[in-house]
Amino acid sequence: MLAISNAKVCASRNSSKLSFFFILLLTLLSSTSDLWAQDYNTLHIPAALYGTNFNLTIIDTFKQILSGNQTITGGINDDFWGPTIFVNKGDTVHMNVLNKLNDSTTIHWHGMHLPAVMDGGPHQIIPPGTLWQPYWKITNNAATYWYHPHLHQMTQAQIIKGVGGFLIVRDTEEAALPLPRTYGIDDIPLVLTSRRYLSNNQFDLTNIYGDYMLTNGTPNAQVSLPAQVVRLRILNAEVERGYDLGFSDNRTFYVIANDGGLLDAPVAVTRLKLLVGERVEILVDLSKNSAGSSVNLQAFNGGQPFGFPGGEPATSGNLGSLLNNTTFTVLHVIVAAPTSGAITSIPKTLVKNTYWTDADVTNSRTITVTDQGPGTPFTFDHVGFVFNTINKTVPLGAIEKWTITNNNTFGHAFHIHDVEFKVVSRSSGSVANYEQGWKDVVYLPKSESVSFIAKFDDYSDAIHPYMYHCHFADHEDGGMMGQFVVEGSAGVKNAPLPEVSYTLFPNPALKKLFIQLEDPRVVVYYITITTINGRTVMMLPQPDLSNGIDISMLPSGSYIVKLMDKESKQITIRKFIKE
Amino acid sequence: MASYVSGVVTDIPKESSPIGKEIQNFRLQNVDGKAIGLENFPQAKGFVIVFTCNHCPFAKLYSRRFNDLSAKYRSLGIPLLAVNSMDTSVYDEERFANMQERAKVDHFEFPYLQDPLQTVGKQFSADHTPQAFVIWKEAGKWMIKYSGAIDDNGKHPEKATPFVANAIDELLASKPVSHPEYRSLGCAINYRE
Repeated sequence: MLAISNAKVCASRNSSKLSFFFILLLTLLSSTSDLWAQDYNTLHIPAALYGTNFNLTIIDTFKQILSGNQTITGGINDDFWGPTIFVNKGDTVHMNVLNKLNDSTTIHWHGMHLPAVMDGGPHQIIPPGTLWQPYWKITNNAATYWYHPHLHQMTQAQIIKGVGGFLIVRDTEEAALPLPRTYGIDDIPLVLTSRRYLSNNQFDLTNIYGDYMLTNGTPNAQVSLPAQVVRLRILNAEVERGYDLGFSDNRTFYVIANDGGLLDAPVAVTRLKLLVGERVEILVDLSKNSAGSSVNLQAFNGGQPFGFPGGEPATSGNLGSLLNNTTFTVLHVIVAAPTSGAITSIPKTLVKNTYWTDADVTNSRTITVTDQGPGTPFTFDHVGFVFNTINKTVPLGAIEKWTITNNNTFGHAFHIHDVEFKVVSRSSGSVANYEQGWKDVVYLPKSESVSFIAKFDDYSDAIHPYMYHCHFADHEDGGMMGQFVVEGSAGVKNAPLPEVSYTLFPNPALKKLFIQLEDPRVVVYYITITTINGRTVMMLPQPDLSNGIDISMLPSGSYIVKLMDKESKQITIRKFIKE
Repeated sequence: MASYVSGVVTDIPKESSPIGKEIQNFRLQNVDGKAIGLENFPQAKGFVIVFTCNHCPFAKLYSRRFNDLSAKYRSLGIPLLAVNSMDTSVYDEERFANMQERAKVDHFEFPYLQDPLQTVGKQFSADHTPQAFVIWKEAGKWMIKYSGAIDDNGKHPEKATPFVANAIDELLASKPVSHPEYRSLGCAINYRE
């Protein structure tokens, strides 16, 4: 750009040499274009995993991002980010999450409706070397979800390192629609992040707004897409930056899904705001683009008011960035020949959603963003996150209206676990057409109140909480989180609690360990297996014991089984020997 | 050939510098079962102390370079000692038997010492694997003269600037170390409380 601007200035100063400079300008433009073309890198498409049993190994690793030294990164089965997990609605999925990081972590299944003890919030800490095995039945609608670390005060660092991945749910309704769904060809996952680098090529783990884009972990990303209707599944996985997305030619594109499901019909837009944690699926019609032409997906963040994260004017310092308050490219698209069986038109309708309304609401709550200032973290209702404090109790089956008020100094992205909700009002005006679907993160601008309605269904647990929080990683690490439990009907418990007694067999065991409960009324809430020295090696929330516990991967030695009963939370201990 | 971003970067200074700090003698068990301390090398002018471990992918890149450093400087009176200060109660792969296996597989030609109580790691304030310290004898005391990364390219040693070797060469030439500190990177050494 600098070369072009200089050439133009020179031409205007000396009209007698206009033709010479015009030729020079063309030469500069031509050579600069070539340089730009060489500056792009092919977009990385995360590996796809299918089925119902998934092995996810979280690793400390490294990646060649800059020239020179490699960057220390975190990944899941990869050197940055993780595989895209495809699951079908109605299936029960089993996750084998092995933490081989140097630190403890958690993995939260963002957007999933599942038991709290499987949810992967800050309480389900997976120590290094430990296998965590949650499982649940997929009841979410077809949409784009994700999984990421949620360890209190470590979320930002682990997200910046690159730990996370997409989780895509498919269902029969979505499958019946004429939508692009060939992964990596016309159905593209895009995780938007940016990073600041230290002088030794390492990520600045304290940084809020990165200076350089990393789209799917690729700097200066470029993708070749067929000249047809393509689907982009876009996730904002930043620490704090929001994106006001659009295309460089200001074309219309079509929002077909929000965080938790398809919309009733595509919504035509030229811009949409995507805050941290939010996902959106869009259709882009490239059928009228000639092969070889290009267009950029851009963040039109220039001119955003203070309060929009990334709208700050500073270019340096902790809240500054080279990308702040500018328009910048997040993906360079080169149009290629269409594929066979291409989707060539935007569908008129999608699915029929039935959303909760005010008439359905059984209880209302208000939450206010509070506290701020240098050295003072944001909170909800002046209460920062405390591990052992339950902030809200929601009755099982309740349909609740939550109103979040932000009369504070800055915008936030409010996220709640367990449910997908319907945004019903914004105090600043109407809810945007492109955010009318099921959501689990909502942009909460400053000086605004947002109301949503959700049903807290299926899973109750009086002990293990779900979270609600700002999804800005630095804000949640700072304690802008609350906890809620969903409580079922307690009833009157006249019957004495069953005695927790069980037998382990075989002992010694080689491949599988079986547990025989003496009282069938005992429901196992949690099993932890540790070495004789106390190091945790396996964590099994609410395990299905019918097929035994697979211990084949454990080294030979003595181990301790800690079994927690669901009703009494009593823990009983047995030893076994792994052959 | 892919191209990569480069340009404006920032750095954050380390809170406290170990340069000039005196190191007390220590004795740790080597993978051959024998205890080794600094006094086992009475002719040594200095030492290269590298903190490494078994499980860190970035540290694993440096085995050959450790051998090269050891081979080049041992005869000049600067032995290399590798120390594993990882917490074995947390990282199963860091067990002594795994250290022995690692030394065998990677053909370590230098002592690989276990620091089970993490006292040596704490004495050096080692924070990552791999991380190197060059200590030098001054008036009968061992003083830290270099702290940080081995070099500046983990995967491509042929492209790297050899920070540790440069520091030793300057010390051997009786010159001050011109770049006594580079930020180390790799896997964090977490210390038990």
